[in-house]
Amino acid sequence: MFGQVLWWTEIAMEALLVARAIGAKFYTKYTLFYFYVSSVLLLELFRFAVFTNLPNSYPLFYWRTQFLAATVGYAVMLQMYAQALRKCRGAVRVANALLLCILAAVMLKVIVGTVSGSGWSTGETMATLERDMRALQAALLLVIIALLAYYKIPTGRNLTGIIVGYSCYVGASVVTLGFGSLPGFGPRPAWRFVQPIAYLATLSIWCFTLWSYHPNPEPDPGSKIERDYKLLSDQTKRILSKARSYLKMRGEL
Amino acid sequence: MSQLLPYLFLGLLLLAVLVWWVWGAIIQRGAAEVLAPRQHRSSVRSVGLQGDLAERIFGPQDWDFVSRETPSEIQRMFQRERTALALAWLRRMRLQVSQVMRAHVVVAQQSDDLQLATEMRLALSYFLFLILCNSLIGWVWLHGPVRTRKIVGQTLQWAVRLRAAFEQLMATIDPASCRVVGAISITERFGAK
Repeated sequence: MFGQVLWWTEIAMEALLVARAIGAKFYTKYTLFYFYVSSVLLLELFRFAVFTNLPNSYPLFYWRTQFLAATVGYAVMLQMYAQALRKCRGAVRVANALLLCILAAVMLKVIVGTVSGSGWSTGETMATLERDMRALQAALLLVIIALLAYYKIPTGRNLTGIIVGYSCYVGASVVTLGFGSLPGFGPRPAWRFVQPIAYLATLSIWCFTLWSYHPNPEPDPGSKIERDYKLLSDQTKRILSKARSYLKMRGEL
Repeated sequence: MSQLLPYLFLGLLLLAVLVWWVWGAIIQRGAAEVLAPRQHRSSVRSVGLQGDLAERIFGPQDWDFVSRETPSEIQRMFQRERTALALAWLRRMRLQVSQVMRAHVVVAQQSDDLQLATEMRLALSYFLFLILCNSLIGWVWLHGPVRTRKIVGQTLQWAVRLRAAFEQLMATIDPASCRVVGAISITERFGAK
C-alpha cells in the first residue's frame, strides 16, 4: 500500500513539474533536464500498465527500464555542465581534464574487468549494473559540485535545485543499491523503499526550486576582471609558498 | 561487505560535498559579496593595523614585566589572555590568505589561458597552508603564546611581508581601486629566492 502511494505521488509530481515548466514557458531553458523528467514519467506510466496487466513480467520490466532511466539520467548531468560552466572558460578546462580522468578510470576498470572476468559482465544483476552507473554519475557530480564550490561559480535557484535534488537521489541510490546488492539486504522491505523515498525528496526539491524561471546570475560586465593569468597565478603561488614555508619552519621549532 | 565500502564512501562523499557547497553558497549570499577585490583591499589594510596591534600584544616587554613584577596567579591569567589573542591573530592570518586565494579563483574561473598544472599546484599549496596554519593554531593552543614567543615574532615579520604581497596582488587584480605603493616588487619584499 505504502509503495503504491509513493508511486502515485511520484507520477503526480513529475507531471506537475513538466506541466508547470510548459505552462510557465521555461521548458526549453532546461531541455535536457525536462527530457529526463518526461522520460521517467513515461516509464512510470508504462510500468504501471505492466504492473496492472502483466504482473508476472513486472520485475524484469522494472529492472530493464530502471537501467534505461539511469542512462537517461546522464542528460541531467549534461544540463548541469552546460548551464553551470558555460561562462567560465577556465573552470571548463579544469572540468574537461577531470572528466577525462574519470573516463580513463572507467575504461581501465572495464578493460581490467574484461580481462579478469570480474568486471561489468552480462552475468551480473541489473541492480549491480545500475549501482555502477549511479556510482559513475556520483563521480561526475562530485567533479561538477567541487568545481562550483572551488571557483565560487554563482548558480541560480533552478540550477541549484537541479544539482541538489539529483545529487541527493544519486548519493542515496549508490548507497542503497550497494547494500541492496548484498544477499542479506536486498529482500528486506525497508531497503526497497529507500530509493523511492529519496526520489520523492528529489522531486519535492525540484518542484520547489523549479516552480518559476530563475536564470543563473550573469557576470557583472562592469566588474569583470581580465588580467594576465600567469602573472596572477605566479603571485598567488609565491604568497602561498612563502606562507607555507614560514609555517613549516615555525612548526619545527 | 568490503566490496561495498567504495560505494558507501562515494555516496557519503557526494552528500558531504553537496552540503559543503550549499553551505558555502548560503554563507556567500549572507555576506552579500562575491569576492570583490575592493573589499579585499580594505581587509589587506586591516592586516597592517592588526600586525601593529599584534606586535604590541605579543612583544616580550609585557611578559618580562609581568613575570618580574607580579605573582604567579597574575602570570597565569596573562598567559590565558595572550593565548586567546594569539589564536585570534592566527585565525585572522588564515582568513587573509584565504581571501588571496579566493581572489585568484575568481580571476582563474574565467581565464582563457588557465593552466591545469598550475591550478592543481596552487590548490595543493593552499590546502597545505591551511593544514600548517591549523597545526600552528593547535600548537599555540597547547603551549601558549609565551612559550611560542619566537614563533609569534617571526609571524609578525611574515605578516608585514604578506601585507605587501596582498597590496601588490590586489593592485594586479583591481588597479582601479588600488595604488601600488612605490615600485617595490614582491620578490624584493620577500627577499630574492
